[in-house]
Amino acid sequence: MSKTQYAQLSDHVEPDPINPDEIDRRALLGNWINSNPDTNSIARIKVFESNNKLQLQVFAVGPDGIIDWGTTTADVFAAGPASRAGAGFACTYDFGFAEARFQAMIMKGLLVLAQFHLFKDESKRAGYFLREYFAMTHDHF
Amino acid sequence: MTQLEFKQKSHLHPELIDANVNADKLVGRWINTNWETRGIAECTVGPDLNVTIVGVGEDGPITWPAVKATPFANLEEEAGQRTMALTATFDLGFMRADTHMRINKGVFVIVLFVTFLDGSGRANYLNREFFYRQA
Repeated sequence: MSKTQYAQLSDHVEPDPINPDEIDRRALLGNWINSNPDTNSIARIKVFESNNKLQLQVFAVGPDGIIDWGTTTADVFAAGPASRAGAGFACTYDFGFAEARFQAMIMKGLLVLAQFHLFKDESKRAGYFLREYFAMTHDHF
Repeated sequence: MTQLEFKQKSHLHPELIDANVNADKLVGRWINTNWETRGIAECTVGPDLNVTIVGVGEDGPITWPAVKATPFANLEEEAGQRTMALTATFDLGFMRADTHMRINKGVFVIVLFVTFLDGSGRANYLNREFFYRQA
């Protein structure tokens, strides 16, 4: 009898062991541009691999131009517990005065990015949430 | 006046200062719109923002330990609405589920990022499910 622990029936699977590094990340890799040209948040995201880790470089919109957030490592998530298809990622940027947590998923070819911003300074700013859409730039048309 | 630190324009949004983060619209019992789900059957958000999730099990419902959610203000209107979001992390020992929850057009949406911690060989994965308010 199976001893696999689960908290929802969809997790009651016993696939051939899947190493996180085996998750196919190709759908995530590329340059993603915000669908909203008037955004006050992230303009574009470069998603790439380095040392077999998924890396992000975020370029945000600042009052005086683009702000390069630098790179961070993201955890890759598949489409299901028995899937090897990468469907999204999660990561955190820690700026000291604030933290930005990302949860991203691919939907119909778009990258849907949920951002959670938490302030750690004394500014009394409330934590806030943003959800934006990004398209992968390409030269097919 | 103290200069606020920022990494994007929205960090300077004036409505963030002393914002009234009201979660009333999220409070209640929410039932999965898909009665054939093999995932989350229902979710209850209490006035204190304690969140309880009930998963679908083989032999009946599986109630996850309740956790306190963190509220987030929402600066953007979506479909003419501005509702806040919650995040909650459920640590079940063998797995962790990092979730966020929000309302879109009256539908309660849970997005789940599951990480297995038990070496079972299952892939970490994400899922999204939709819920209606129990009258």
